[in-house]
Amino acid sequence: MVQSLAALVSLVLALIVVAVALVVVRRASRRDPAGYANVYRVRRYYAIGLIGALAVLLVLTLARTPYAAAAAPPPDLKVEAFGWMWAWEFVVDGESRGPRLELPAGKLVEFAVSARDVNHGFGIYDPQGRLVAQTQAMPGYVNPLRVRFDEPGTYHVLCLEYCGLGHAVMMGEISVQ
Amino acid sequence: MSTGTSHPGRDRRVIVVWMVTSVALFLVMVTLGILMRLAQGDVMAITPQTFYALMTMHGLGMAGTLFSAGIAMVWYVAARHARPSRLAMWIAWALFLAGGLALLAATLIGKFAAGWYTLYPLPFLKATWPGWSTGLTIVSLMAMGVGWLVALLDILRALAVEHGIARMFAWDRFGAGAGREAAPAGVLIGAVCAVAGVLGTIVGAASLMMYLFQWFAPATQFDPLLLKNSMFMFGHTIVNVAMYCGIGVVYELMPGFTGRPWKVTKTVAVAWNATLAFILFAYFHHLYMDFAQPVTLHVIGQIASYSSAVPATAVTVFGLGGQLHRSGLRWSFVPAAFTLGILGWVLGGITAVVDSTIAVNLVFHNTLWVPAHFHTYFLVGFVLLLFGFVHHLLGSRAERLAKSGLVVMLTGGYLFVLMFFLGGLWSVPRRFASYQAIPYPDLVAHATRFAAWGAVGGSLFLLGALLYAASLVTGRQPAPDREG
Repeated sequence: MVQSLAALVSLVLALIVVAVALVVVRRASRRDPAGYANVYRVRRYYAIGLIGALAVLLVLTLARTPYAAAAAPPPDLKVEAFGWMWAWEFVVDGESRGPRLELPAGKLVEFAVSARDVNHGFGIYDPQGRLVAQTQAMPGYVNPLRVRFDEPGTYHVLCLEYCGLGHAVMMGEISVQ
Repeated sequence: MSTGTSHPGRDRRVIVVWMVTSVALFLVMVTLGILMRLAQGDVMAITPQTFYALMTMHGLGMAGTLFSAGIAMVWYVAARHARPSRLAMWIAWALFLAGGLALLAATLIGKFAAGWYTLYPLPFLKATWPGWSTGLTIVSLMAMGVGWLVALLDILRALAVEHGIARMFAWDRFGAGAGREAAPAGVLIGAVCAVAGVLGTIVGAASLMMYLFQWFAPATQFDPLLLKNSMFMFGHTIVNVAMYCGIGVVYELMPGFTGRPWKVTKTVAVAWNATLAFILFAYFHHLYMDFAQPVTLHVIGQIASYSSAVPATAVTVFGLGGQLHRSGLRWSFVPAAFTLGILGWVLGGITAVVDSTIAVNLVFHNTLWVPAHFHTYFLVGFVLLLFGFVHHLLGSRAERLAKSGLVVMLTGGYLFVLMFFLGGLWSVPRRFASYQAIPYPDLVAHATRFAAWGAVGGSLFLLGALLYAASLVTGRQPAPDREG
């Protein structure tokens, strides 16, 4: 899961930083006028390593953006999704389904997401309550979001862009069978 | 009024007034933040209307206050190496204070609640608050912006007059003048911060002009994506610059404690000029989830965000390491607060870079991971630099009480941000007045618990800040001792 991996990476890096900081802090009280030279000796290797690591991460992660998915083969289903204060509406083949949508499992679905008043955020949560994908719903623009619903169950759409007083109660439901 | 720097006492007075104003407003904003977490934690009942007004004030107030404090810190550094105008600073301070108080009225009385970046067209469409509060918010922000521009442009003028443009940006490190002594690091960082601050503020001013036009002529329509870009260019830049202003003070003052110079080498010059570019282009990461935005801009956002880690760590953090390592330093309040502040900045930066990965942002954007990272580099980052600076400025004989306050602030601060990080990991959405409508009982239970513990952390932080303030009062030193 992306969240767990991102949190784990953050935690490991944070622990390394704290450990290095503790070493530096402990040694700061001792006096050696030329002591700083050691730090700058390490820096060159650090900078090269960091730039290399970031370059590799860029290449790996930029291949996994949601925009790249939009250029993949055509979706199995297309659904229009509109946000307004404070509800979601799904439209399939020009017919409104209100805030509830039924989908077959395993199909690649493209949501054409837009808004009828202010900005909203179209965040899809899986049956366990984890965010799996999102895009902004902006008036005057259509954002295509592709999601494959492999796991049957009830998914929910929460608003992930602050849109006024009803922001926290703006919900949609997607039933996958 | 004289505009020179021949009177350190008068320079000190304007900065002390700025700092007292900034810290007082900061503590008010902290209190609003605690109230919000208490409401989310179901500890106290707050209506959505009041919650979102508090949220708007908290965000606008924090961004404005910390950027204003950052400007004052840069002005202080500039005044040690040039002659910035005190009059300009007094004008900017008056506008900052007037804007801040007017914002308090617009949000707490007028219930303006469009959030801190007031995404167009939310302030104008189906608003649940009176129109005057929208207008007052726009005018307040413009007043603050004019003040920032006055101060920042004057800092740039003063640095250019004293050092010349090539020297203040350290471009002379690469030409015929490379053999001559470089300008102090504080000058370079002050110049970078001032340029980025001016550019960000000008973009913000243009956006606010459009907002004002819309307020006067409601039938007007602007492009929401354009205004989203410009408001984030403004908002992201000023909060980013605030952080770098604090770092400028560390470069300036830390050598006084370690006895080692912090020179502007070619590496430092390249790093800070590159940082200027990264500051200006990183804001695109706020719009990753706007798929209608050209993909190139998303990619620029990720590259700029990733790249900012290189000068930040390889130059500033290693530079601090070079300052500290076996320096014989005595850990008094100021170097301790500075070092801890840089640590908080790095920890917040790590989690920011992680979130700036587009593939990760897909599941972190607008969850609590976002406030987690920026509260880390502000609350246990910049704010510690701010308190370190205040301590340098005012001093205190009650060092033990001051350090106790610092420890309590750290404990509370890290507890507070940890609860945000856990919330982000659990996909808890941000900016929810209440979690009770979320159709996942486990998620609701976790989100509520994290919020309640977050309120405990925030309260501890506030207690620590008050202990620190008490140390300033009980250990007050006469002003002449503190000229620096």
